[in-house]
Amino acid sequence: MQTIYNSMRKTVVVAVVGMLLLSCEGHLEDLYDNPNAVTSIDDSALFTKSVRSLFQATTDNGSAHFAGMHAHYYVAGSTWRAPDQYGDGHDGDYNSILNDGYSGTIRHIEEVLELTSSANTQNNIRNALANIIAVLAYAKVTDAFGDVPYTEGGKGKSQDILLPKYDTQESIYKDMIVRLTNSIAILKTADPAMAYPNSDPIYNNDLGKWVRFANSVRLRLAMRMRYADPSASQSTVAKCLSEPLMETPGHDAFMIETEGTGNAWFNRRTGFPSIKMSTLLIDQLQGTNDPRLAVFVSKDGTGQYSGIVNGLTDQAFGNSNFANLSDMGLALSSPESKLYIMTAAETWLLRAEAALAYDNDPATANILYRKGIEASLNQWEVDAAEITSFMASPTATLAGVNDEEQIGVQMWLSLTPNFFEGWSHIRRTGYPIIPVRTSEDLSKGVTNGIMPSRFNYSSFEQGANSSNVQEAISRQGANKIDTPVWWDKN
Amino acid sequence: MNKLILILAIFGTIITAGAQKTISGQVLEKDTNTPLLGVSVLVKGSMTGTTTDFDGNYTLADLSTDAIIEFSYIGYTTQEFTIGDQTTINVFLEINAEQMDEVVVTALNIQRDKESLGYSISQVSSEEVNVARENNVMNSLSGKVSGLQITQSNTGVDGSSRVLLRGITTINGNNRPLVVVDGIPISNGSGGAGASGGIDRGDALSDINPDDVETISVLKGAGAAAAYGSLGMNGVILITTKSGTKKAGVGISLNSSFSFSDVALTPDFQNEYGAGAFGDFAPINADGRPVLDYPFSWSWGPKMEGQTYTNWLGQQDNYTPNSKRNPYKEFYQTGFTMSNTLAFEGRNDKGSFRLSITDEDGQGIVSNNTLTKQTFSLRGSSNLTDRFSIDGKMTYITSKVSNRPQLAEGSGNTALQLSLMPRDIRLDDVRNNTVNANGEEIKWNLDNTFNNPYWALENAGNVDEKDHFQGFISANWEIDDKFNITAKSGMDYIINDYTSYGATGAQAIQNGLGSYNHDGDQSSIWNSDILGTYSTDLSDFNITLSLGANYRNEYSNYKNISGNDAKVPNFYRISNYKNSFSSEGISEKAIYSYYALGQFGYRGFLYLDATIRNDNSSALPQANNSYWYHSENMSLLFTKLLGINSNILSQGKLRGSFAKVGNDTSPYRTQAVYSVDQTVTLPYTVASISESLPSFDLRPETSESWEIGADLGFLKNRIQLDVTYYKTNTTDQIMAVPISGTTAYSSKVINAGEIENKGIEAQLNLIPFDSENFSWDLGFNFTKSNSKVITLNEGLESISLGSLWTASVEARPGQEFGTIYGNDFLRDNFGRKIIGNDGLAKRGDRVALGNINPDWYGGFTNKIRYKNFTLSSLISAQVGGEYYSYGRGYRLFFGTDERSLVGRENGLVEEGINEFTGFENDNETSALLKQFTDIFSNEIATDIILDATNVKLREVALTFDFPKTMLRDTFIQSASLSAVGRNLLFLYNAAGDIDPEATYSSGPASTAFEHSSLPSTRSYGVNLKINF
Repeated sequence: MQTIYNSMRKTVVVAVVGMLLLSCEGHLEDLYDNPNAVTSIDDSALFTKSVRSLFQATTDNGSAHFAGMHAHYYVAGSTWRAPDQYGDGHDGDYNSILNDGYSGTIRHIEEVLELTSSANTQNNIRNALANIIAVLAYAKVTDAFGDVPYTEGGKGKSQDILLPKYDTQESIYKDMIVRLTNSIAILKTADPAMAYPNSDPIYNNDLGKWVRFANSVRLRLAMRMRYADPSASQSTVAKCLSEPLMETPGHDAFMIETEGTGNAWFNRRTGFPSIKMSTLLIDQLQGTNDPRLAVFVSKDGTGQYSGIVNGLTDQAFGNSNFANLSDMGLALSSPESKLYIMTAAETWLLRAEAALAYDNDPATANILYRKGIEASLNQWEVDAAEITSFMASPTATLAGVNDEEQIGVQMWLSLTPNFFEGWSHIRRTGYPIIPVRTSEDLSKGVTNGIMPSRFNYSSFEQGANSSNVQEAISRQGANKIDTPVWWDKN
Repeated sequence: MNKLILILAIFGTIITAGAQKTISGQVLEKDTNTPLLGVSVLVKGSMTGTTTDFDGNYTLADLSTDAIIEFSYIGYTTQEFTIGDQTTINVFLEINAEQMDEVVVTALNIQRDKESLGYSISQVSSEEVNVARENNVMNSLSGKVSGLQITQSNTGVDGSSRVLLRGITTINGNNRPLVVVDGIPISNGSGGAGASGGIDRGDALSDINPDDVETISVLKGAGAAAAYGSLGMNGVILITTKSGTKKAGVGISLNSSFSFSDVALTPDFQNEYGAGAFGDFAPINADGRPVLDYPFSWSWGPKMEGQTYTNWLGQQDNYTPNSKRNPYKEFYQTGFTMSNTLAFEGRNDKGSFRLSITDEDGQGIVSNNTLTKQTFSLRGSSNLTDRFSIDGKMTYITSKVSNRPQLAEGSGNTALQLSLMPRDIRLDDVRNNTVNANGEEIKWNLDNTFNNPYWALENAGNVDEKDHFQGFISANWEIDDKFNITAKSGMDYIINDYTSYGATGAQAIQNGLGSYNHDGDQSSIWNSDILGTYSTDLSDFNITLSLGANYRNEYSNYKNISGNDAKVPNFYRISNYKNSFSSEGISEKAIYSYYALGQFGYRGFLYLDATIRNDNSSALPQANNSYWYHSENMSLLFTKLLGINSNILSQGKLRGSFAKVGNDTSPYRTQAVYSVDQTVTLPYTVASISESLPSFDLRPETSESWEIGADLGFLKNRIQLDVTYYKTNTTDQIMAVPISGTTAYSSKVINAGEIENKGIEAQLNLIPFDSENFSWDLGFNFTKSNSKVITLNEGLESISLGSLWTASVEARPGQEFGTIYGNDFLRDNFGRKIIGNDGLAKRGDRVALGNINPDWYGGFTNKIRYKNFTLSSLISAQVGGEYYSYGRGYRLFFGTDERSLVGRENGLVEEGINEFTGFENDNETSALLKQFTDIFSNEIATDIILDATNVKLREVALTFDFPKTMLRDTFIQSASLSAVGRNLLFLYNAAGDIDPEATYSSGPASTAFEHSSLPSTRSYGVNLKINF
């Protein structure tokens, strides 16, 4: 009896342990999957994410904290003002600018490119659209830093590349033009049903507008190569002119950020760090009776337009009465203000410059120049009568001397509020002229008072991707903010 | 600190040889004559035996007269007697407090002779945590246990503490020891804010009621903890709560504490210069108020000499030094903590119970920061049959903390605002001017990230409520005398509900729109164990073999709703907000484990333990989700082996331990997923990819550790010395390594890197005097622990463990873990600063400027008893280690710090070499520009890296035990009254005006940074204990 009892007891123990073992593996598998996310998704949701990130990036750290002040559109208050003094003590910012450049648009568009070229989810129309977005994102990082990872960049997930090599800016530019050319060719004849119906925040799947957009971006890139590789620039421009381009504000690539508190400039005007528009901008607009003054600039407490001089030393800034000066205009800095990637105005002005540069045709240039100004005024919904009177003013006509400067200054105005592009434009053309800082009241920074030319590779990046960064530095020149990028020959 | 508590004991009587006979008797405690239950009465050399009953009685039959009977009871001296002709043997067991073979609670709650253990263990008794009571019981251990480093952050009432046992072993892990309460591992996350602000919501350890604690065992190192698997990798703190089995009948005990806390340490402020810059007042705005934008909102104005000026409110005022020199002392108040515990306990021969209720109320130094907490605990056990017993516990803790303070860079951090407030501003004016006619906040600073501290006090707050259940049930079945099965299932379940709000009208809070946030989360940890144990004696060997299985489930979920843009002011419900957002998430992980333990003892001088364990985790990919580890411990009592029985060397033990422990990771790190973005207004779906790349082939990480040590007792154990050397190498660490942002990702989860952690611990206890009326105990403990990064992922030069402004604490190969990096001054080959023509120092490279690890730390306890008075004190010391104080940096360039007075009037000439001439610098610069340029523009950290060396009088308690004679005619059995003080003062503090423990979070590397912390507090009060 005792033995039966003993053996039963053992059987029970063994059976219980056995059952435990069997049920375990299944239970562990059940818990393996992340319940807070999905493992597959239509690439349209990632495409939308990429596009939206691209627009949001026009107000990012590199654009708002650096480029907008380098390009002398405004001066930010408080601690945000530091980059206006041309210093380079911004290692953390440089790192976040590089990371932001890749983490928003590029991370998601690389996934779209991967999905739209993979066997089961292949779609060359979507792929063509995604290439346009990818080009815009890579163009911004290379314009900011010079050589950057491109062929291997952004491929941490798709190709498991954790130490991407850096490409020269020249090779990046040339490849971007090829990609845009391919996209234009595909999209011209594409069936919109195969594109992104209901997922396109820019053109609501109007592929005709996408072709104009892609071609205009191609024109921007082509003109940016003007001084670095004139022949490639010229031949690309010629190709651009043979395809449709952006012509009216209806073609503009804009988006309104409706989530959260909306347009980031709203927070920056009303909260931190508080933004005051520059004397250079206000003087230009006021001196030419430009109706965009009221658009870009708010009146100060006394009903005047009063600007802040860029680059003041700490002591001079303290005496500048900063808090009382003119804020950014409400049209730029309200929650529902539009964010722009590319406009018809910019396109016309690029064409005007091209007409002068490559066709030596001032008459055509003048026509294009006027169209550019008119497109910009229309873009900002300036009153028709004011448009008429401004178009009649000498500013709206090329004088035949310093035409390049006139075009350059109008380009600077028309790029508002895409301040990053404004900075790139000044770096390339030298217009508007940003005077070298010599006055005692102005901070010379580490550039002897000359507008910075790029951002530095951060110490983190130099540690995390060491040999590739070193290779880029040895090729491009010292890792300094006054080392020009490839296309910057002025 | 070791305390001698429980021991094996004996008693006996002799009966001459003869026929089979029966013997009976009673076992009582010597001196008190209390009957002892459960004393083992064993015929030596046989398995025949019994235990005493509730009244201490026993009966043994069928004995031969030459049988030797052994009476043993934990905590008492074991004795043996031959029966001879006696039939009744009454035994008086004596408590033995001077033997070394102390019984300690070890892993899986197995009580063991300390002498049989091959690893280092420290035990702390209840008096050490419930007299000088702390809200967070961990804080009471600070300085008392070698190897244990506790850092109590200054984050308001119920804040969290950083707990490290033998330093840091993993880069990404939280490195906190596992905390096990009555055999059930409980949740043990760290808390705290980030550099940019936030609050510290405390940690779950603060819910352990000190009044319910019986003992705390600190199991150091993986060898001690291998039975808990990977959870025990960083050591284990085992807490045993009171169970009511101590004495017969029904007893009532009361423990009441009341203490005050007040501001103990504040920054040194200058009191000569008020608002302004470069010696001038700020320009006056159109509205008549000065424009207090940078740098005019700083204290670099003219010298305050009573001249007339326009104050921050736009009024004509006298510009005079503040009569109340220190805004901290004016703003912060005296806080208090009050706690009352009433416990009922009892026992009879069928079981025992304990019921306790604790009520706790507290108020911090910030007036609206309050705590109310109730703890209900019920513990019961029952012997259903002679061989089957059940035991169970249910603890419910409900707490509510209001207005946990904002920390670090948070706009509502009152300490930040007060420390930067221009020195001419009177705090009364700030208090009386918080809101203008338009309902907008009034403040002295145009910076919209700042709040008026009084506005924040009234208009921004939070409520943190928690319901916490802990409990277990267990059953024990003694199948026969050698075979025993225990099953136990327990949980730790926490429900948190947290709301925070900010009123409309302050730019710092959603641009004046107001905000509201409501978080709810639940977390549970379930642990179920079954353990079978077989023990036997084979001639000189005694052997215990155990086989066990464990199932652990960790589950949590959260829901959040938040809104901004209030429709109606001062109403905090989500419906009142124009914009609202919500989110939720779930996390779950399960681990199955199987383990075997073996203990082998040979003739009482050699012990060998071995553990083997297999874990299976749902967090790892299926191919790699099963992993093994093991530990081996050995203890050799060489004095017993060699028969040394000298008065000089009374006891000597050598011990050694090796363990290999595996570890998994948090769930969902091995899968690529897309999350769907929450969008409110967008007409299309937006999905995003996490910034961290998953690893598809993650392996468990491995930690190998060994330790050797000796426990020596001299002069009848009046001098006891424990020394341990340990070394742990953790390899294949699972970590999210930061990768180049150009990959489009910020980190990738991989197995990489190795950390070597080694150190020496020593503990010395002395009893210079020990007599009836006077005794004196001294204890010293010393720990030196170093963690070195051997390798990181190939090509990776550094992993940042945290950063504040421009300093970061990093892991770099070949460097000590936790090295602080920041920009140094540019220097020549002789280390002299290079100075520009503007008289300002140049920025140099980013270099190692310090390290969070102390050279050594320790504690010194002193306990003197004279008759009924006991005076005890604890002094803790940390030598070496550095931290970066951005708080001081801020105060320097805002010109409020006393140190900013240097060179104010006449400018200053930096010591250094002119960058062009190579000669000594003679170019003058202004003090403002120097401070601002060095700290802010040039981001130079050197001057605000501070030495963390400090010696602190941490605890003083004077206790009076009411004499028995005084209580004889009352219903009170015992009573004591104590006056206690905690964190009374710094005996030495290298940094002077900043507490090195004043961190804003309690993560592993948190001691690297201080940022405008709340002032440190000291507390003093009384404690009354009465037993009925």
